[in-house]
Amino acid sequence: MLRWPLAVLIVLAASVIFLLATVNSDMGQDAVSNGNWRTNPNIGSKDAGVMLRATVAIGGLLASNRDDSIYYALTSIDGKPLSLNCQYKIEGNDYDANWWSITAYGWDFYLIPNSERRYSFNNENLVRDDDGNWQIYVSAHQTPGNWLPIGPSGSARDDKAKQHDFDLLIRLYTPGDEYLTAPESAPLPKVSMEGCV
Amino acid sequence: MIWLRWILGILICGWLGQFLLAMLVPHLIMERLYSQVGKQAGFNTLLVNAKPDETSRGVVRPSPDLLYGICVYNLDQGPVVIKAPVPDRYWSMQFYQMNTDNFASITNQREQRHRAGTVVEATLIGPGDVPDKYSGELIQSPTGRGVMLLRASGIGEDTEAQLALKNSSCKPI
Repeated sequence: MLRWPLAVLIVLAASVIFLLATVNSDMGQDAVSNGNWRTNPNIGSKDAGVMLRATVAIGGLLASNRDDSIYYALTSIDGKPLSLNCQYKIEGNDYDANWWSITAYGWDFYLIPNSERRYSFNNENLVRDDDGNWQIYVSAHQTPGNWLPIGPSGSARDDKAKQHDFDLLIRLYTPGDEYLTAPESAPLPKVSMEGCV
Repeated sequence: MIWLRWILGILICGWLGQFLLAMLVPHLIMERLYSQVGKQAGFNTLLVNAKPDETSRGVVRPSPDLLYGICVYNLDQGPVVIKAPVPDRYWSMQFYQMNTDNFASITNQREQRHRAGTVVEATLIGPGDVPDKYSGELIQSPTGRGVMLLRASGIGEDTEAQLALKNSSCKPI
């Protein structure tokens, strides 16, 4: 008697599990990798498939289309999820875009609470060397130079469904042609892990 | 053997079911945003938000380098007019339907750079409206309801961007 209702419930639960597994794969299944960064050219466009629409609705609602701005997310380095216990270095120079920014987000997709109230760096507020090169240190502990603080997200850890503790997002506004035609090889900052405690 | 068939059936149905759920998710999330903003500011009204920080939890992944204005529109009673001064630095006006598709965009970038320093006055009409009845800059929404989002660069000196958003509006004709 209860067999069918039970089967429907199990099917529903299985559907949710399958869906979460898919939407948690960063930028959707048809994402493009560029080193450890990942993007999806169809974000915000009418060409986005059902799964990408769901992914964007959950983790990037009201995204722009790529002509306006292109987004690359980084959740792991060589397969190792970003952790609050580690320090990371982002290195770069300038990129072919009207302007760009790098932001750290918590596991809940919101800005990370921190005493500095610093959530991002952009092409104008970085401390650079004479050649325009810069380094950002991503760490839970204060560092000299461009320090991007990380820490626990604003929502409860019980809500954390992902392996990584936080992620990084680079937004390039009015990106140059290379980002539109070859997003997998266009220049991006290099991110490395410096050490863990 | 019969249990194996049940398990297989459940897995196949569950796998297919994820696509049905995926179709629902964007609508559910947009409906939540729509009612939240509607309750806070009203429909067909521009809500200008403070620069995002850790307390900004209305829309995921807010950019701390942007200033935002949002209008949730309902065209059932007629078109809506959006007026917005366009600052020199990055600025965009983007339109989303309730399935999250970004269906139209006005910016001060690329071939639209000429807009910087001017005022955009866009008339947003519904899917059943006849465009010929209206003049000026027209945008036809594929659905009767949706979201318009203004973004303006908030990096460096942002007084001009703040003023541009403050002097923008979203109102029925």
